[in-house]
Amino acid sequence: MITGTGVVKTFKQRGKVLGAREVRALRGVDFTIPKGGAASFIGESGCGKTTLGRIIAGLESYDEGEILIDGQSMSALKPKQRQPHFRKIQMIHQDPYSALNPTRTIHQTLYAPLSLRARQTGRSRSWIDERAAEVLSLVGLDPGTVLARYPHQLSGGMRQRVVIARALTVDPEMLVADEAVSMIDVSLRLGILALLKDLRERLGVSVLFITHDVATARYIGDDGELYVIYRGQVVERGAVDTVIADPVHPYTQSLLSAIPVLHGLEQPGEQPVTPLESLNESQSDEGCLFARRCPFRGERCTTERPLLRLGEGIPQEHACFYPERRSVIARPMSEV
Amino acid sequence: MTQQAPGVRIDGLTVVYKTPAGELPAVREISLDLRPGSITGIVGESGSGKSTLALSLLNAVQPPGRIAAGSVEIDGLGDVVGLRGEQLRKARGKHIGYVFQAAQNSLNPLKTVGKQLLDLGRSHGVDDLRGLVREAKELLGRMGLDGARVLDSHQHELSGGMRQRVGIMLALVLNAHLVVLDEPTTALDMITQANILKIIREVHDERGLTTLVITHDIGVVAEVADRLAVMYGGRLVEQGPTREVLGAPRHPYTKGLIRAIPRLVGDIDEARALPGRPPTLATVPKEGCVFRERCALRMDVCDTVDPRAVADGPRIVACHAVEGAVDVTVDVKEHA
Repeated sequence: MITGTGVVKTFKQRGKVLGAREVRALRGVDFTIPKGGAASFIGESGCGKTTLGRIIAGLESYDEGEILIDGQSMSALKPKQRQPHFRKIQMIHQDPYSALNPTRTIHQTLYAPLSLRARQTGRSRSWIDERAAEVLSLVGLDPGTVLARYPHQLSGGMRQRVVIARALTVDPEMLVADEAVSMIDVSLRLGILALLKDLRERLGVSVLFITHDVATARYIGDDGELYVIYRGQVVERGAVDTVIADPVHPYTQSLLSAIPVLHGLEQPGEQPVTPLESLNESQSDEGCLFARRCPFRGERCTTERPLLRLGEGIPQEHACFYPERRSVIARPMSEV
Repeated sequence: MTQQAPGVRIDGLTVVYKTPAGELPAVREISLDLRPGSITGIVGESGSGKSTLALSLLNAVQPPGRIAAGSVEIDGLGDVVGLRGEQLRKARGKHIGYVFQAAQNSLNPLKTVGKQLLDLGRSHGVDDLRGLVREAKELLGRMGLDGARVLDSHQHELSGGMRQRVGIMLALVLNAHLVVLDEPTTALDMITQANILKIIREVHDERGLTTLVITHDIGVVAEVADRLAVMYGGRLVEQGPTREVLGAPRHPYTKGLIRAIPRLVGDIDEARALPGRPPTLATVPKEGCVFRERCALRMDVCDTVDPRAVADGPRIVACHAVEGAVDVTVDVKEHA
């Protein structure tokens, strides 16, 4: 289980031209990902979802707050001592074309982490080959044909499977998939999503899914949690299908309204929400972070920041003073 | 300025690329009409030949590729395939506006947008450069930007969505009435994407354009296009009015593609990945149907005979399984 409380990250730039600049990437984020569970972070680019994913995978430091991996506080440990904990969390990157070394065969790619594992656990060399074949089968590839190949001989979907297989070589407890299907051909995306779901069910690996494509977030499983992140703050959090079907925060509603409608197959939602202006990072931090773009803002919104809370009979947590259900997503014709 | 939206007739177009294995067709015998004033969307996965087809409209296929057969007739220009040198250079920009894939990154980082605009004007012999700037400001203003500010900016000062709008402005500013947009929203956020699609639609209507949108995302086409054409392995497998094709796809590939899209509501297990993977230039079958390897309706005839493109009212499908039994039960009115 991985939990975070009040995670804060600020990027400081000492720009020579524009002067010192601070970007508040995360403004006190809480999260919990149970063992074998699933969560999904969604939001626009620059909202901090990738930064949070990288912090969880141990690739980025954080300024304030606390992260616990299986109850062990990460801040209390020295960097070297953190390593075995973060090893349990493996990252799957967006671009399978640059995530694999083009000069190495798939066998070589898998061999390196496996031989390290073999040495640590005192296993023989034959175990390495067995395990390499095993992880490839787990991700739906035929070891016989794939092992001897180079990355350029594989399609994007196959490469992403190899990347996932590589992550599995170290027996991770959690996979962090950052936009893992956005560069895969449309007809093959679902295969990768189904694979992640399948690994969750079969191996009990928890999955953290980072994406701007809300529909793909559903594939982590219906027991998963959805976190909607806006400018470093979680603005809505709850069960995936609840948040998608009945969003209450105007930002979540804008995100969902923006999803293209398959006219002919679907009927658009009746109350689509369009933000008043586009995202501007230099907007003031006073009050609700979304206030300037929010079509429903009230007096209170510009002076006071709403915190993530439960209440008003709404099943999911929300950070809005005036939460209201609106029908924003497209529904299939057959249901109308 | 009294130009009309031109019609485009692509007939029997074949584009080949020279490879060590001989000349291979990336686009094979494609016939497609772009009606004056319509928005046509071409959907295809990577390697389907959709970008090559779009470049053929400018006669801009670069070696090792060449247009091997067919014609591209554009009203007021004639057959573009026959144009050479100066004639061709003038046609590009003035008659045909092109917004390149990743237009966000196709600006010169060293020059302000305004200077690039003036370069464009000079290279096309525009005498009234002031008028050109005025026109550009108007277009940018129309798209919700502060024209003066944008023209004075370098590309790094603009966000992805703003650069995309600059790309559209540059394609339209010389008063081109045929516009090709190659992946206009890739790498943009959902909300920005929705915004750009709305702008494309509005500008199209206001200026009376003929527009071609190339994308891998059916959602994008569903939002903007009147007509939809589906490409696979260098062939056009299905085309027709967008709503009709989405509501009742006929080609097995179109069906599979629509089924493979993760949706926001309903049973997520209903969505399925297509088995197999899209062909590359080298693996496209030389004869017979290009889709047969992944097709559930495969018959003996598919291995040897190329399916003809058969028209049924406004819809055209190239499939042996459909040709024999055109699905006449589809009631089009239902989706209008």
